[in-house]
Amino acid sequence: MTATPDAAPEQRARFLAGLAEMRRRLLAARPDLVIMFVNDHVQNFFYDNLPAYCIGVGPTHWAPKGAATFLKIPQRQVPGAAAWGKALLAEGLEAGFDLAVSHDLEFWDDVSVPAHFLMPEGTLPILPVLTNCVAPPLPTPKRSWTLGGFVKRFIDTRPGDERVALIATGGISHWIGVPNTGHINPDWDRWVLGTIADGRGEELAMLTWEQIERDGGNGGQEIRNWISVLGAMPGVKGEVLAYEPVREWLTGCGAVWLQV
Amino acid sequence: MSDYHLNRVLYERAREHKMAESIGPDEVAGYDLTPEERQALADGDLDALFRLGANPYLIRRVFRRRFAV
Repeated sequence: MTATPDAAPEQRARFLAGLAEMRRRLLAARPDLVIMFVNDHVQNFFYDNLPAYCIGVGPTHWAPKGAATFLKIPQRQVPGAAAWGKALLAEGLEAGFDLAVSHDLEFWDDVSVPAHFLMPEGTLPILPVLTNCVAPPLPTPKRSWTLGGFVKRFIDTRPGDERVALIATGGISHWIGVPNTGHINPDWDRWVLGTIADGRGEELAMLTWEQIERDGGNGGQEIRNWISVLGAMPGVKGEVLAYEPVREWLTGCGAVWLQV
Repeated sequence: MSDYHLNRVLYERAREHKMAESIGPDEVAGYDLTPEERQALADGDLDALFRLGANPYLIRRVFRRRFAV
């Protein structure tokens, strides 16, 4: 999106209008922090130490750092939500989720690009929840749904009255780095968006790795992030603010708002 | 698990945002790679790298200029 600013101008304009509307709603909701369900792109975690789920508890996060040149957006550090992150980690472990932890994360497009458009001020604390979506074997979509449900209960039982927004990034369909790189499956994307619009997110949680790989590509595995957010608000109907299958961005790009 | 080392070759370049058309034998002298892996890197044969277990996100990151889109 940001790396090729001149590509697909009409689709770009329509999708950015959707993100602008999402930003307007996000500001109107007055969140005190944002929990972002995102996936590493093999920058923080390599095969020598690769968590299924990881909580970012650092006081700040790079978003982006070295990737700024490629992404063509400014290098910056965004605030973390350390106390909330440490509490989520501890209570998650207590609840039976074997979460990993990182005090120092460097984000690429996963956090940097959505934050660039939705939170350009860089003042809203971000608590990242990372799911391995890129180096199989991956955690099941059902587990991500269950984790999202736990995060909702965690938020509800916090002692303060902070307002919390959840953001998921990644997906929808894309084939990346594989022999048919650039393929997009708009039919599957629209089915995914339709299930969310109907409040049937649990259907996505029932998908298998094989089904996602076939219909959404290896990049489609990133919808685990979306599924976690849907698991936090089961039955809530989503409003699709934008959808564009953008060949130049290699991805079916969707923006969906859920209000609770 | 040799593809671990194949991925390490790519990971170390991706971390530094170094792109390549191919990665020759001199650049991977210290890595525990099979002859087939070395050949695929030297040829910049992306399909072969994928078949040998290279992570596609790392293939994309390092060999970005080789992709049509």
